Amino acid sequence: MANKKVNKKDIAKLLNQWRQQFTVLAPSKENGVAQMAEWDGKDTSFLDWYRNTVIPPKASFLPPMEEMFRFQKDKEGYHIELPPTNEHKQLIFGIRPCDARAMTILDMTFEEAYQDPYYLSRRKNAVLVGLGCTNPCESCFCTSMGVSPTESTNVDLMLTDIGDQFLIEVVTDKGKELIAKASGLKEATKDDEAKAKETKETSYNKITRKLDTEGIVDKLQASFDDEGFWEQTAAKCISCGICTLLCPTCYCFDINDELVRGEGTRFRSWDSCGFPVYTKMPMENPRLEKWRRVRQKVCHKFEFYPMTFNVIACTGCGRCIRLCPVNWDITQVLESVPVKTGVRK
Amino acid sequence: MTATDISHRKKFFALGNVYLPHIVVIEKIIEETPGVRTFHFNFKDKKLGKEFSFESGQFGQYSVFGIGEAPFCISSSPTRRDHLEFTAQRVGRVTNALHRLGAGAELGFRGPYGNSFPLDFLKSKNLVFVGGGIGLAPLRSLIWNVIDNRNKYKKIDIIYGARSPADLCFKYDLDAWGKDKTVNMVTTVDKGDDTWKGKVGVVPKILEEVAPSAREAVAIVCGPPIMIRFTFPVLEKLGFTPKQMLTTLEKRMKCGIGKCGRCNIGNIYVCRDGPVFSYAQIKNFVSSEY
Ligand code: SF4
Ligand code: SF4
Ligand code: FES
Repeated sequence: MANKKVNKKDIAKLLNQWRQQFTVLAPSKENGVAQMAEWDGKDTSFLDWYRNTVIPPKASFLPPMEEMFRFQKDKEGYHIELPPTNEHKQLIFGIRPCDARAMTILDMTFEEAYQDPYYLSRRKNAVLVGLGCTNPCESCFCTSMGVSPTESTNVDLMLTDIGDQFLIEVVTDKGKELIAKASGLKEATKDDEAKAKETKETSYNKITRKLDTEGIVDKLQASFDDEGFWEQTAAKCISCGICTLLCPTCYCFDINDELVRGEGTRFRSWDSCGFPVYTKMPMENPRLEKWRRVRQKVCHKFEFYPMTFNVIACTGCGRCIRLCPVNWDITQVLESVPVKTGVRK
Repeated sequence: MTATDISHRKKFFALGNVYLPHIVVIEKIIEETPGVRTFHFNFKDKKLGKEFSFESGQFGQYSVFGIGEAPFCISSSPTRRDHLEFTAQRVGRVTNALHRLGAGAELGFRGPYGNSFPLDFLKSKNLVFVGGGIGLAPLRSLIWNVIDNRNKYKKIDIIYGARSPADLCFKYDLDAWGKDKTVNMVTTVDKGDDTWKGKVGVVPKILEEVAPSAREAVAIVCGPPIMIRFTFPVLEKLGFTPKQMLTTLEKRMKCGIGKCGRCNIGNIYVCRDGPVFSYAQIKNFVSSEY
């Protein structure tokens, strides 16, 4: 399908058409924190202030807290039922390419072997409408992670800024349906395409932070037991967990029960390998020392995930750099992994 | 040891959802030692109980509703399916709650999860079981499994120890194996008492004394991490190669199926890729993460 375009001032109209069928989520500031939240039908001011959300879009698929099932006891014993679901038909408008890529990375874990029904049903029913970055942050290093700030993969539709309008690329069949249901779109011209190409090139070159990941798996393997390096790396970290909780590719969760007046709920909530209790067993804790936890975070993304799924579980979104209270910087850490000969394995 | 194909297990999920437990009923509780109890249980839905199958080494996630879930291996043998068993030491929130329950109480159960002891690999071999404390739980599922198929295996040595005579678990099994002429049963305690007539000494030391041959043998080692750490070097001295040593690992677990992230050692998830490992698979991690 040929590419389309839409006037920036008509975005509200477009979203309202999609709102007939989907819960439309768009960048929004809740208590000052940027995140994808249900769109109110009017406000498109995010087009001016939005660079990226603080809370990554994974929250719409793996919520910070969600009910897994309910249980109740009566004379016959325990009964279990699933929570009432709405269909979770979400349209995420404005997801950045790095975060869309993160969803593809998360899919690997949740689809592998045992399928995760909660995550996957939301994922299956959702559509992603991407919006290319024209004003990336200093902390972004997506281009080093194989992501371009305007690329049209991992989404259903992709929008690129071409002045007063957005060019719309149709990426998937789901995207095709979205376009078919929308009125008021125009065909993109050769000129529009040329402008989009220019936007993409300029944006790409705005990413100045670089990370060389060549041979990173081997390097990390060889340095796994280098306690000195890890201790130094972890020194200033205060184990707040931000860099993992708000990382778009982190998925660790905890499971707990709650019982209120005989009504029980089992729920899961985001968790972080940065917290000491994460691995705590009654008699021992294999990651009591902070450096072991920092090592786990780094190696999970850059060593273990590639070993299992053949992709690095980092998209260069830069959140862990921007949001860390003590300026811990993953690109610096990875650049300083000692080069050792003789791989551990 | 081998990644398990789970496709056949899907039909067993409660309401088609892997996180939902089935209801099981505690039928009997055995006090093994002060603080360690074995729970006999069956599925509340008899039909499900018939459909349920598992292999030695696999584990389940058990719910005390309102408190939470904890993983325990199924400590009974798949060759003895009158009921299922697991054994729990009272150490945390869930196990404390478990120990307050009596026969007739209902639990949630999901599973079986994880891989299992590689019976094909063990076939026609001499088997050396090395266990410590409550670590006998996963071993006894396999030991009964092997004894119930006795002609498939060669010599059987069992070296089992605990801190004191009062800390020995599964005394009824130790008795039965002691009487079995086809089994060499050695029981030891770190510290004896007036009535103790067995061996005295930590498990690795007694293993060195018993000195089972490594020829066509496999050692299966389960117990507290400290015992495991000191047992592997003894086995190596006796000529066992890392591939001839098996163990089960324990980690904090939540999901049990490789999703929640917390049970990893390197790129291995103990819940999904274990809990049974050969020493060859994990020896690089023993110093650092285990
Ligand atoms: S955000 Fe910074 S301080 Fe917080 S856990 Fe991550 S590295 Fe440590
Ligand atoms: S590790 Fe940091 S830069 Fe990479 S995806 Fe996670 S938050 Fe973004
Ligand atoms: S227990 Fe969740 S990944 Fe192993």
